Amino acid sequence: METGQSARTRIGWLWVSTAARLGLAAVWLVAGGLKVGDLAASGRAVNAYRLFPYDVAKVIGAAQPFLEIALGLLLLAGLAVRLSAGISAGLLVIFIAGIISAWARGLQIDCGCFSTGGELGAGQSPQYAWDLLRDAGFLLLAGILLWRPRTRYSIDGVLMGEQ
Amino acid sequence: MSGNNRDRANRDRARAKRVVQEQLAKERRRRVTLWTSLGVVVLLVVVGLIGWGVAANQESDKTAGLTTPSVAVDEGTAFAVGTGPVKIDIYEDFICPACGQFETGAASTIDQLVAANKVTVQYHPIAILDRASSTEYSTRSAAAAAAAAQGGKFAEYHKALFANQPEEGGAGLDDAKLIELGRSVGLTDAAFADAVNNGTYKAWATKVTDTAAARGVNSTPTVLVGGKALESPTPQALMAAVGAAGA
Repeated sequence: METGQSARTRIGWLWVSTAARLGLAAVWLVAGGLKVGDLAASGRAVNAYRLFPYDVAKVIGAAQPFLEIALGLLLLAGLAVRLSAGISAGLLVIFIAGIISAWARGLQIDCGCFSTGGELGAGQSPQYAWDLLRDAGFLLLAGILLWRPRTRYSIDGVLMGEQ
Repeated sequence: MSGNNRDRANRDRARAKRVVQEQLAKERRRRVTLWTSLGVVVLLVVVGLIGWGVAANQESDKTAGLTTPSVAVDEGTAFAVGTGPVKIDIYEDFICPACGQFETGAASTIDQLVAANKVTVQYHPIAILDRASSTEYSTRSAAAAAAAAQGGKFAEYHKALFANQPEEGGAGLDDAKLIELGRSVGLTDAAFADAVNNGTYKAWATKVTDTAAARGVNSTPTVLVGGKALESPTPQALMAAVGAAGA
């Protein structure tokens, strides 16, 4: 038998996870939506990290906004939440590594997280610390969902016969 | 006694039923997880491929009908001013404010170096800030500069564009204004106006931008002296680098 206390905890987490899921969905939809209009610029933003040859950067830059939007829609619908959260976490770890590497190499670039990025002009300075902090926050949302993937109003719930 | 037995039998049956139900629910969760996961992986792969396809399509659309100005140098991606021994490459976007500042500060230095026949300046008009205007001014102005180069007035038109640089976030200068600026530097023939109105060199502007990105130019202004990028493009740094290059 479930005690009242643990039932309350369970329901509390259900709502925390639901908020995390919708928050992360919004992050991906906005990030992808801002980039999808100019894929060439998105490719140049990836190229600005100087981690890949330009032709590879172009392919990554083209695929990335579409993947972000797809992840956003999956999380919004609540379909395969744990897997979507896992892939989100993987992507965020890659982004964080990219920003750290750009910072370490002293590159003067916009991270291109919520824009088509690229190098910064004279008089602009990068916001790496802030970018990293923000991505760590998103990673926390993904972590919550990995740990507690059950949420309200999700297709997963319907398919599992829970709601 | 028999009542007790019946109770126990009922309890056993209920327990067995619960166990079976739990098993079935577990089986269902396993099946749902498996199929949704597979579906999601396939979906993401397909979506990634769609992105690649859309980008390739956009690129071929934007570079269709490529007309390279016959006067362009450096694999048809730049316009040369001057004939001196030290090569300067300048990558600029006509709407980029930092490029405007660089031009304001360095134009007279560059003019002197060109007049003294010390340098050859290769201007690469690239379009990386199309999103900074509602009319893709970056591409249109770079294309207009190509038309001006074809008319023999690149240096003059280049100056006129920076002298009339529009603000970021607006509509940029319209084609009529671009043609008017051309007239002010002596581009009075119909060929220039037609090239601007028809966007003759827009595909070329896209190609120049792509070539620059392939060379690792990701920001404007990027200034190279003798192939080496200036860390901070100022007139002083430019003079120093030209001096060091032996001019």
